[in-house]
Amino acid sequence: MTSTWYLYMGFCAALLFIGIYCLLTMKNLIKLFIGIEIISKAISLALVTGGFVRNNLALAQALVITFIVIEVSMVAVALAIIINVYRHTGSLDIRKLTTLKG
Amino acid sequence: MILQIALLIGLVGFSVLAILLRDLLKAAISLAAASIMLAMIFFRLNAPYVGVFEISVVAGLITVLFITTIALTKSPSDVKESRRPLIIFPLFFIAFIICDIFIMKALLQAGRPMLPGSPGTQPFGVVFWNERTFDLVGQIAVIFAGVFSVLALFRPRGDKHD
Repeated sequence: MTSTWYLYMGFCAALLFIGIYCLLTMKNLIKLFIGIEIISKAISLALVTGGFVRNNLALAQALVITFIVIEVSMVAVALAIIINVYRHTGSLDIRKLTTLKG
Repeated sequence: MILQIALLIGLVGFSVLAILLRDLLKAAISLAAASIMLAMIFFRLNAPYVGVFEISVVAGLITVLFITTIALTKSPSDVKESRRPLIIFPLFFIAFIICDIFIMKALLQAGRPMLPGSPGTQPFGVVFWNERTFDLVGQIAVIFAGVFSVLALFRPRGDKHD
């Protein structure tokens, strides 16, 4: 593990890239949220890898468990908002969310 | 080492599938598969508690929430995604991976020292329950905020108070 943690961080960066690319290019609200989930996976992996390298896994695990709990709350609220948006507009297309224009 | 790399490649592969698949249900299942890969990586990194949470909560609960949402928002007219981002994704991704490999190789050769810090000696249970005070309160507050937000968003309409 002396040098393989660079490998883990490289894969974390790749996951981050996939998530950000999804956020920048997709138009479906659920797809956008899948992008956010992928970014959160990259963050979890980076935290656990950091804890493993520093030989401080207990703290890293506590942090990641807190992160997962907050992530679940965020997912529940965001999916409820997505369902409400669908009821209002009849579509999941973000291009149709133009009613908030001033 | 080979197993670790295979798991990491599987994680990235399922994540790519999750954004490239046009069917939302298949995309959600790909995301769950990526979560299972991540949980196996956590087990390999000697972090079993996070692995269990990842499998039960992220791969289980969040996938169920995603599938419920997809079922509730079944639209006859699907969102028309532009094909161009999906076509140019492999080019961008390969370019990024090449840059990533070069940067990580340069960092490895530079041999930068890690940030100072002391290795943890306490067991997980002590760190998880005894060393956390205010963040635990904040976490409970976040859970309640989520519950009340969902209740507020799904409040039945029609009762006008004016």
